[in-house]
Amino acid sequence: MKITFPHMGNSYIALSALTGSLGAEVIVPPRPTRQTIDLGALHAPEFVCLPFKVNMGDNIRALEMGSDTLAMVSGMWACRFGYYGRLQHQILRDAGYEFDSILLGRDDLRVVYNKFRSTAKGNLTLAWARAFRLFRLKAITVDCIETRARAVMPFEKERGTTTRKMKEGLSMVHAASSIDEVKKARASAVDLLDNIDLEKTGEKPLQIAIVGEIYTVLEPAINFDIERRLGEKGILVHPVMSVYKWLFRPLKVDPSITVSERRARKIAKPYVPYVLGGEEHQTITGTIDASRKGYDGVIHLYPFTCMPENICRSILPKLESKYDMPLLNLCLDEHASPTGIETRLEAFVDLLKQRRKKPHAPS
Amino acid sequence: MQIYRGERTVARIASCPAADPYGTVDNMRIGIPRALSYYRYYPFLKTVIEGMDGEVVLSPSTRKSLLEKGAYQCVDDICVPVKVYFGHVLDLMEKADCLLISRLVSVEKSNCDTYTCPKMIGLPDMVRHSMEEAPKIIEHIVDLQNGSWKSSIKGIAKALGASPSVTRKAYREAMEVQSSYEKLLLAGQTPESAIEHVLNPHGAAAQDGEHSAPNSKKEHAVHKDGQIKIALIGHEYLIHDAYVSHSLPDKLRSQGVDLIYSSQVTPEAINQELGKHPEISWSFEKELLGAAYHFQGREDIDGVMLLMCFACGPDSIVGEMISREFYRSEGPAFTTMVIDEHTGEAGVATRVEAFVDLIRRSSVRL
Ligand code: SF4
Ligand code: SF4
Repeated sequence: MKITFPHMGNSYIALSALTGSLGAEVIVPPRPTRQTIDLGALHAPEFVCLPFKVNMGDNIRALEMGSDTLAMVSGMWACRFGYYGRLQHQILRDAGYEFDSILLGRDDLRVVYNKFRSTAKGNLTLAWARAFRLFRLKAITVDCIETRARAVMPFEKERGTTTRKMKEGLSMVHAASSIDEVKKARASAVDLLDNIDLEKTGEKPLQIAIVGEIYTVLEPAINFDIERRLGEKGILVHPVMSVYKWLFRPLKVDPSITVSERRARKIAKPYVPYVLGGEEHQTITGTIDASRKGYDGVIHLYPFTCMPENICRSILPKLESKYDMPLLNLCLDEHASPTGIETRLEAFVDLLKQRRKKPHAPS
Repeated sequence: MQIYRGERTVARIASCPAADPYGTVDNMRIGIPRALSYYRYYPFLKTVIEGMDGEVVLSPSTRKSLLEKGAYQCVDDICVPVKVYFGHVLDLMEKADCLLISRLVSVEKSNCDTYTCPKMIGLPDMVRHSMEEAPKIIEHIVDLQNGSWKSSIKGIAKALGASPSVTRKAYREAMEVQSSYEKLLLAGQTPESAIEHVLNPHGAAAQDGEHSAPNSKKEHAVHKDGQIKIALIGHEYLIHDAYVSHSLPDKLRSQGVDLIYSSQVTPEAINQELGKHPEISWSFEKELLGAAYHFQGREDIDGVMLLMCFACGPDSIVGEMISREFYRSEGPAFTTMVIDEHTGEAGVATRVEAFVDLIRRSSVRL
């Protein structure tokens, strides 16, 4: 079995570990680029949301690299994501590709479990248990490295060092094949990041929360590497979501995720009392939290025509004035240009700097 | 993107609707926007409100100024029907004491998750929080997975201060009106004429004959030579909003087309078709999909037209499923038409002519 799955930030590291330990050969397509998006858009429905098109491009690339099994999560939700896998696989089959589908969430769990019977070595249950442990550890490790890099980047002496070191660390984690190796890789990655030359200016950096639709928040190829762009401007960035939280939220094995999700729903309830099928509660709560934590601004990212975030976008201006929290909406589609984004980011950062200088009386 | 929303969590959230302070006013004027859920539930809502001694104010039909105002109020990339809805909301601000806004969470009871479009679930939130001076809102919450149809009128009863017995009576009457309304839709009447019929029976009866629905049963039987039959599939708030669809149904008819709407397919036929296919949680889209499969298998249908609006989330997925189904197998001619607020009247006319032409030519060849 040559398995593949679409990219979302660094999720491929944990997902490769999971499927790889189950004996499958993992095909990781190249990180998405403009070409990937164009390739996906060619086959995708015209006005479907952007993540669909990128995922589609990833799948085609992987199929061309020889993959024979496409994995995706799927289900019956209020938003489009639940239908991604089903429709993508249909489109690809109609286009003449041949492959096996794993639609996690839609197929019975038992079916997914048994898919690996022929590839896993030894007892299948034990293989799953081992694979899951490695999966979880890698997801946590990636999260920890990303968080640390985010904290260091604004202060690095030479721009770009943190990103380089972080990549180095992540590839060590990706290469590690046992629990011990991952732990070792983590220690060296942290070490790398801790030894970056810093420049202490004594000034408190600007802090910005990033909220919005999960894929646009987590996928640097789509958001024009917004974390790095801001980090290298000397800004501390706080995305409300992470790959780890996204992967483990449905599995309900980490109580802290469940608690934070529940809290988000409670805080967002006066604004969105019902489930809309996206990240609406995290978006609303993330914006309110940004003000409570004293951040300087919020950036709201979402793909063009994204339904839940369209609703949030209608509501956010109210929070912006109520909490006196500057807000930048960035709507991303396949035509967005890096210069356009950069200009808007610069203008926003300038605004935040101005506000720092003459403190506003909170309303 | 969100995965694994269990029913339990939905239930928990749904059980505590946002508190809204309703003041009770005598003879309250309740505004209903002529958009989105109007096309499905207006007869029911109007009867309920009047049964509780409220007064209904309906916004006029969609027009340019109204859509422009709505679009100005909304996020750019949201679908036209929501922009239209906001236009109607703005129109009613002065005319009504409060607005009745439907929150359609789930409109069918089923053992798997069912929803409508997220925008219909979040509609009251959008109106409440995006306008500078938000109107007073009565929510008509339809969540059949966790409640009943009857409980959807709680908000109205509370706002009008109706006693339980009055509520019961109003509800019973409204259900009757609604069921005759739905029968008329099934028989091929347009929502506007069916609404006129059920809410104003005497006035409508007097004009009967000349004003009966153009494709009522009688006319169906006469399949004149050269007349072709086209099925029009799409959300009723798109098809029947003459301003947004540029009177698409009339344009088709003026080409000598015998028209049948997706709303004319019975729920039984839809369910039968859907039984063969993978399930979907969007109830309204299910109807479109089921109707499409149904028309595909019918010998008397020459062509199927799917009307979608740009930026519609569910349509982008289900429209693709329907198109693929038609392209993959034999059946009537098929075309899709995507409209938004910038679509010109000429564009619609050209597409209609081209499609009708195509069908005529291919039937000559046969
Ligand atoms: S949340 Fe937005 S991006 Fe994700 S499936 Fe829904 S509409 Fe598409
Ligand atoms: S179903 Fe489509 S057209 Fe209707 S409100 Fe939702 S997104 Fe808009």
